[in-house]
Amino acid sequence: MSNISSTSVLSPSVPSNQGFGLYLVVGCIVAVLGFALPFMGLPKNLLSLLTSASISAILATSVGFLVRQAGLSSFGHAAFFGGAAYAVALLVNYTSLPSEVVILATPLLIMVLSGIISLILLRTNGIAFSMLSLAMAQAIYELVMKWRDLANGEDGLRIRFAREIFGVKLSFFQKADTMFLTTWTALVVMVVIVVLVSRSNFGTLTIAIKNNEERARFLGYRTLWPRIVVLMLSAFIAAVGGTLFSMYNGYVTPSLLHWTLSGEALIIAIIGGTRSVWAPAVGAFVFVILRDVAGNYTTHWQSIVGLVLIAVVLALPNGLGGALTSFANRLGGRKNG
Amino acid sequence: MAERYMLEARGLTRRYGGFAALNNVSFALEEGEIRGLIGSNGAGKSTCMDVLTGRGKNPMGLVMLDGEDISKLSERERRAKGLSRSFQKTSIFHDLTIREQIRLAARKAEADNSEEVISELSLSHIADRPASDVSYGDQRRVDLALALVGRPKLLLLDEPAAGLTVEESLAMARMLRGLSERWKLTVMLVEHDMEVIFAICDRLTVLHLGEVLTEGDPESVRSNPEVVRAYLGSSFA
Repeated sequence: MSNISSTSVLSPSVPSNQGFGLYLVVGCIVAVLGFALPFMGLPKNLLSLLTSASISAILATSVGFLVRQAGLSSFGHAAFFGGAAYAVALLVNYTSLPSEVVILATPLLIMVLSGIISLILLRTNGIAFSMLSLAMAQAIYELVMKWRDLANGEDGLRIRFAREIFGVKLSFFQKADTMFLTTWTALVVMVVIVVLVSRSNFGTLTIAIKNNEERARFLGYRTLWPRIVVLMLSAFIAAVGGTLFSMYNGYVTPSLLHWTLSGEALIIAIIGGTRSVWAPAVGAFVFVILRDVAGNYTTHWQSIVGLVLIAVVLALPNGLGGALTSFANRLGGRKNG
Repeated sequence: MAERYMLEARGLTRRYGGFAALNNVSFALEEGEIRGLIGSNGAGKSTCMDVLTGRGKNPMGLVMLDGEDISKLSERERRAKGLSRSFQKTSIFHDLTIREQIRLAARKAEADNSEEVISELSLSHIADRPASDVSYGDQRRVDLALALVGRPKLLLLDEPAAGLTVEESLAMARMLRGLSERWKLTVMLVEHDMEVIFAICDRLTVLHLGEVLTEGDPESVRSNPEVVRAYLGSSFA
């Protein structure tokens, strides 16, 4: 008898249906609490931090979703995140398209482009995929750095948004207390989307393909297209994050396309854990707050983040999300499934 | 009028460079028959299964399923035509529950006999557990269940009893015999466990060094001196 049970944060499993109702209730409470935060009189710098954390959470959700549903660790998601931010900047600055159209269309544009790129990326798996995605993102980074006439190189671009977007003043999207509501709403919607997808028949198929692609093919399924759709959805979510970033900051720089941002998103996903679709978002809030607190004490805050990462990998192989799930299951008197 | 077989293989050949893993192999299975494909390691049994299911590249020869030439079809298309297989190494979806993966197979086969298969293979009591959490013997039955969903016309089983206890092997053999009779399922079985082979097979094809050494009912194969010398040894003679 052999029990083949992987517990790595990078080899997630499908959560059982048991207890989904509990997760739903807790999720709704957390979502509502989030919407109440700007009205609780929190300091502006804390709200600013939470707004940044929400945007990071969206990016981490996209990376975690790709790991969970396709078993792919991307080192190139900065291309989708930063690519969206730059697309907004370039389209707003150099075309006559209304800002609203640009903001709504950019994630879809990035999603379509990711579908084309995925035809190459998804010919590979594992390390090869990670390296290819890294190469793709770095190529875009270099393009932006070198093409000064278009993207102003390392100095970046200020985005010349219209004074009003969607009928409200631009400042609504650039002040933390009001923008947080937008980023939080987007995060909640993105998490709901990945929950629905992961629990659908399509989600089951993608997990099956991730587990055993050849067997899925022998059952009669096409295996490339579902993987492409997962990557496209993941890219779409990352692009939503990038679009929100561009709105909030009104400025883009090449660092948004650098591989370190992709690495950071993957680290956040590992800290949060990828067994549950919501866990990378939890990881993002912990990461951003930890980075801020550590940054107040030392300029070498990366060392502290590194130590936390080591501690999480060693002590919580399923990440913070896995630990929370185990705790909730213990409270409910059930064995962790 | 030529007799119509459920499976007809003519001149199956697969070469790896100058080495012929399978060389001009031909056989035919009638509907409802259970055929054992036996031979020593390297005889070409698994290669033969791969060629029949369209796995791998550049095979030669003709594969007819229920009178239809499927030689040029992909493994996915052959499954849609009713050819199903299990693998030598357990090939299931570890992160899905047993019920989830059998339903997944049923959806593609467009035949909702998933609960029937779960029941037939005695998987009901563990159906909602992830496949990674059940015993090896149960995982082998899940592997078989995935192949059985949709009531395929032809089932190719590559060492289904590998790693099972004698008791489990014989139980699986009995179950297969029963299903074959009730579902008119045609089965081709690669197996090293001669107890299983002789318990359920109607006919045997013996492969040796990539070629058909002989073919016949179990008794005649068992007493064939060439087979005894090449594969079975004196204990089975």
